[in-house]
Amino acid sequence: MTPLWLGVIPFGIAYAVLARDAGLSLVETQALSLLVFAGSSQVSAVGLFGRGAGGSGIVFTTLLLNVRHVLYGLSLGRRVQMTRRERLVAAFFLTDEAYGVSIARGARSFPFVLGAELSLYLTWNVATLGGALLGGVIPDPERIGVDFVFPLAFLALLVPLLRRRVDVLVAIVAGALAWLLARSLPGGLPILCAGVVGSLLGALLTKGEQR
Amino acid sequence: MSFWATCAGMVAVTFGSRLAGLTLHRELPPFWLRFLHFVPIAVFAALVTPSLGGSRGEGGIRVVAAAIGALAAWRTRQLAVAIAVGMAAFWLLRLLPG
Repeated sequence: MTPLWLGVIPFGIAYAVLARDAGLSLVETQALSLLVFAGSSQVSAVGLFGRGAGGSGIVFTTLLLNVRHVLYGLSLGRRVQMTRRERLVAAFFLTDEAYGVSIARGARSFPFVLGAELSLYLTWNVATLGGALLGGVIPDPERIGVDFVFPLAFLALLVPLLRRRVDVLVAIVAGALAWLLARSLPGGLPILCAGVVGSLLGALLTKGEQR
Repeated sequence: MSFWATCAGMVAVTFGSRLAGLTLHRELPPFWLRFLHFVPIAVFAALVTPSLGGSRGEGGIRVVAAAIGALAAWRTRQLAVAIAVGMAAFWLLRLLPG
């Protein structure tokens, strides 16, 4: 679990600094970490807040970013026996990292899954608080290039997912499409369009494969 | 939409996605399983490109630094290492003259 925490801490701090830079208050920055608890969509949301995007665009982008959790849930739900109430709790705290650890360590029980989830939740929220306090005292975060953390973080999340040629192709098409659309469309719309088109392309190109 | 309404919407769609998989008993059709596999790939890529260049006319430096960060991500598979290497490359390249 230790390497996971190591990854979460700088990401959490970077998120909170970006959030403060985008004009969110300390309470708002922390609230997203406590209630939404989804690193990538929190970072994208504060980026969109900063550019003055509308709330519905932010919520749609969040949906698109988090719909992958359906897959994690399907996989985890088959391996671990849980009561209805346990499913509610496990679902609230589910993340990429908690899923990854639970699968890698062959988790069969709810307490194991919850332990992995809660340790990440605690780390993420402490890192958020640290970053939010730090973000309040850095005079001009943009000048030192804090906004560059945003594309960098998503690139670092993307690269390990590229296992096959079709994965790379989908990433290139979606990236190019988003770049083109972002020149004329506002906020989260280019991400939404490129995300749906890219995923459809991938699903069509892998027709006949069993996943 | 206010911040808190947006936050409530984000909670709803995030928790909804997480709960859907855990409580769904029926198998999804293969096409949609494959679609879901490609969603993070397409969305992460779509989040990178529009903000890669930045707004301060440092596009070249940022693209090179991002490539170095991507290489670090590929070699180490560690988010923290990739961000640290990419930011270090960015700051170093900025110091270069011209």
